[in-house]
Amino acid sequence: MSEPAGPAASVPAAPSPGSPGHAPASPPSRPAGSSPDDPPVAGPPSGGSGQRPVPARRAFLRGALGVGFAGAAAAGAGAGYAYRASRPIPAAATAAETAQAGVLPAVPFHGRYQAGILPGSQRQTAVISFSVTAAGRGELRALFQTITDRARFLAAGGTAPPVGISAPPSDSGILGPAMEPNGLTVTVGVGASLFDDRYGLAALRPARLTQMQPFPDDNLDPAQCNGDLSLQLNAGSADTVLHALRDITRHTRGGMQILWRIDGFTSPPRPAGTTPRNLLGFMDGIANPDAGSPAAMDELVWVTSSASHEPAWTVGGSYQVIRLIRMLVEFWDRVDVFEQENMIGRRRATGAPLDANSEFAIPNYPVDPSGAVIPLTAHIRLANPRTPQSGSSRILRRGYNYDRGIDDVGNLDQGLIFTCYQQDIKRQFEAVQTRLTGEPLVDYISPFGGGYFYALPGVRNASDYYGRALLT
Amino acid sequence: MNGISAGSPRTLPVAATAAWLSAGALLAGLLAGCGGNSPSPANSITVNTATCGGQWSPVAPGWHTFHIQNQSTEAAEVDLIDPASGAIYAELEASGPNTVNPLQVDVGSGSYAFRCLLEDTDPVTGPTVRIPGHVRGAAAILPVTTDDLIQPAREYRTYVTAGLNVLLAQVKKLAAGIGSGNLAAARAAWLPAHLTYERLGAAYDSFGNFDGEIDGRATGLAGGVSSPQFTGFYRLEYGLWHGQSARQLTGLGNHLVKDVAALRAAWPGMEIGLLDIGLRTNEILENALEFQLTGTDDYGSGTTLATVGANITGTRELLQILHPLLAARYTGLPSVYSWLDRLEGLITAQHHRSGSWTPMSQLSTGDRQMINATLSQTLQELAPIAVITEPRRT
Repeated sequence: MSEPAGPAASVPAAPSPGSPGHAPASPPSRPAGSSPDDPPVAGPPSGGSGQRPVPARRAFLRGALGVGFAGAAAAGAGAGYAYRASRPIPAAATAAETAQAGVLPAVPFHGRYQAGILPGSQRQTAVISFSVTAAGRGELRALFQTITDRARFLAAGGTAPPVGISAPPSDSGILGPAMEPNGLTVTVGVGASLFDDRYGLAALRPARLTQMQPFPDDNLDPAQCNGDLSLQLNAGSADTVLHALRDITRHTRGGMQILWRIDGFTSPPRPAGTTPRNLLGFMDGIANPDAGSPAAMDELVWVTSSASHEPAWTVGGSYQVIRLIRMLVEFWDRVDVFEQENMIGRRRATGAPLDANSEFAIPNYPVDPSGAVIPLTAHIRLANPRTPQSGSSRILRRGYNYDRGIDDVGNLDQGLIFTCYQQDIKRQFEAVQTRLTGEPLVDYISPFGGGYFYALPGVRNASDYYGRALLT
Repeated sequence: MNGISAGSPRTLPVAATAAWLSAGALLAGLLAGCGGNSPSPANSITVNTATCGGQWSPVAPGWHTFHIQNQSTEAAEVDLIDPASGAIYAELEASGPNTVNPLQVDVGSGSYAFRCLLEDTDPVTGPTVRIPGHVRGAAAILPVTTDDLIQPAREYRTYVTAGLNVLLAQVKKLAAGIGSGNLAAARAAWLPAHLTYERLGAAYDSFGNFDGEIDGRATGLAGGVSSPQFTGFYRLEYGLWHGQSARQLTGLGNHLVKDVAALRAAWPGMEIGLLDIGLRTNEILENALEFQLTGTDDYGSGTTLATVGANITGTRELLQILHPLLAARYTGLPSVYSWLDRLEGLITAQHHRSGSWTPMSQLSTGDRQMINATLSQTLQELAPIAVITEPRRT
């Protein structure tokens, strides 16, 4: 007996964590269409001086993208940071280069509003819905304080604390030892279910906050709908987003669990200087209200102190609608381009409304009452009919493309993470969505998930935290 | 009896030097030599045979990065310690020759010295540097030595020995049920036996090939559940809950008895890795998260939550064994226990009066997320223990 086995025989087995997540699918190799069928564009160049510098009107599907909206591309201002502009804004070209290197500047975290709402879409996003598992009000408050601490740290960047021999490393390391903030924004929202009987918050539920109900053309999967808390992480690169997600979940494991999540991206403008395209091949997302106009935002996006029906804590927040919309891209790619354009109401190649020659032109519906040029059922026309009555239903859209594998018949699972902000979901998003019911495009898209949330007021300073006014 | 053996406490320290330290700190004589690149002189700490760090000046309190320059042809371990107590603020393991490595520390007011660990020679401790004032930095932690772990290893051996005795009787009962054609009795006997084994969780590595025979899963075997190499608890579970006959399973039942008996006979001579004791405090439940809560290890009985409960018991045993070492070193220990309690409560709630357990597939999303969250938080709380209880040379 007792031949020393030798400790080498008892080398500890490394734990073998599974690799979660879905296998990424390659994007289709089909080149984005530059259709020779499109008429040559003879009008002023996009963003040209002939256009008004306020938001041009665009298709409904997506939010303004990076530098694309409000004529900001022409101005060379990174519209992403325009409203909170407490630091220098890089010129567009420079911004693209720095984004490539993953060194976008920090977006100031503290403020009256959450920093990730007004800026245009960044290169990468993750949208995550959580179930809150905290036990009781005290733990709920601690959860929100922890999320705040992590978000504040991550948005500023820097070095993770040394731990000596007391613990595993305090950071995942995927951004290296000196973390660049890389434009990270963290947007936190709360769902209607957080106001059930668990935390005694029922009386404080935002007046317009409900669970998202299916619209007639929806195909909702309950497992990918709603949630107690929404988290959107936007940044200049995927590693920054994933680092933030890992950091926040690591610090909140007992307090919340992911219910569903989806990652998204913004395509580069093709060609340069235009609005980025969605995965239907169309430029998408100009007809946004002007995020640089505080008056417009007070009118359409923020819940203000004048909203007497709302609990006081909601001031400075905004209703957030998230819709996960599958695009049936294989089917779409089998459709004649003119039919595609009639469904959207714009030229695929140029983004121009069918009644005009340039991307930023305003469609003139009054001279086309029968829809001879832009069909009455065209997406852009239903979404924003540009009537006096439709003005108050405008929403601030912030969309991202997604691409995440395949479905059961081998088709690519691609589409749109539609996100929008508004003062009143019924008056705004639901009104728009109701106008779109039955539009021809519904055959090619399938909303399957998402939810309604209330994006919290901003974290004002170093001693403030998300939801403080709600939880104290 | 449990005699002194290869894995016995008496021989452990010697073995430990080769195995436990080699991973992080195989130490060799250091020769003075030309330094490599030297970063900022103020932060540069030189390692050689003459001094450990040499003279260095106090730094301002706060986060600080020292650059440890190994001017030798051998690897070295360098610790920043409190010279009065020997407690470690920060360590650099396996610093290779002619390398410069950062050593980060949250410096506060107090006494600091570098200690360089060289093989076959006494550690060299450099001069003490006092940082004045009243600034709180990161606390130093007293290193755990191989000597400190001898008693825990002894207690753990006793725990497993007792468990194996129980286990053998239980698998005999299981095999007898199958052998007599009473599969209902066999199904009833399966779970208690399996849980007894799962309570020993800390022993995976120590059990060597026995673990694969006794508790291996079908994944990784060509043919999966039909593989002739698929044996043990999960194979029997598969058969007993998929309508296989006593005749099909009799050989497998006897096989399990034979394996458990062989393990029990071999156990006194088997090594207990000292590093493993700390590692297992979170690895048992890491496995529970990966294989039980996912339902992966459910071969038909729907009792993976019962297995998690057994894994909690195994984890608690290790914590109890390590408690004397942890109490003064890990401020998060009360939190470990409170999360384990919470987890155990959630698991127990799925054990029904009839004796049955809720299968994972029948848990509501809410219950499942609550269990996932609680186990995940428990793992976060447990994670520092392996770092703290890693056997270190002093």
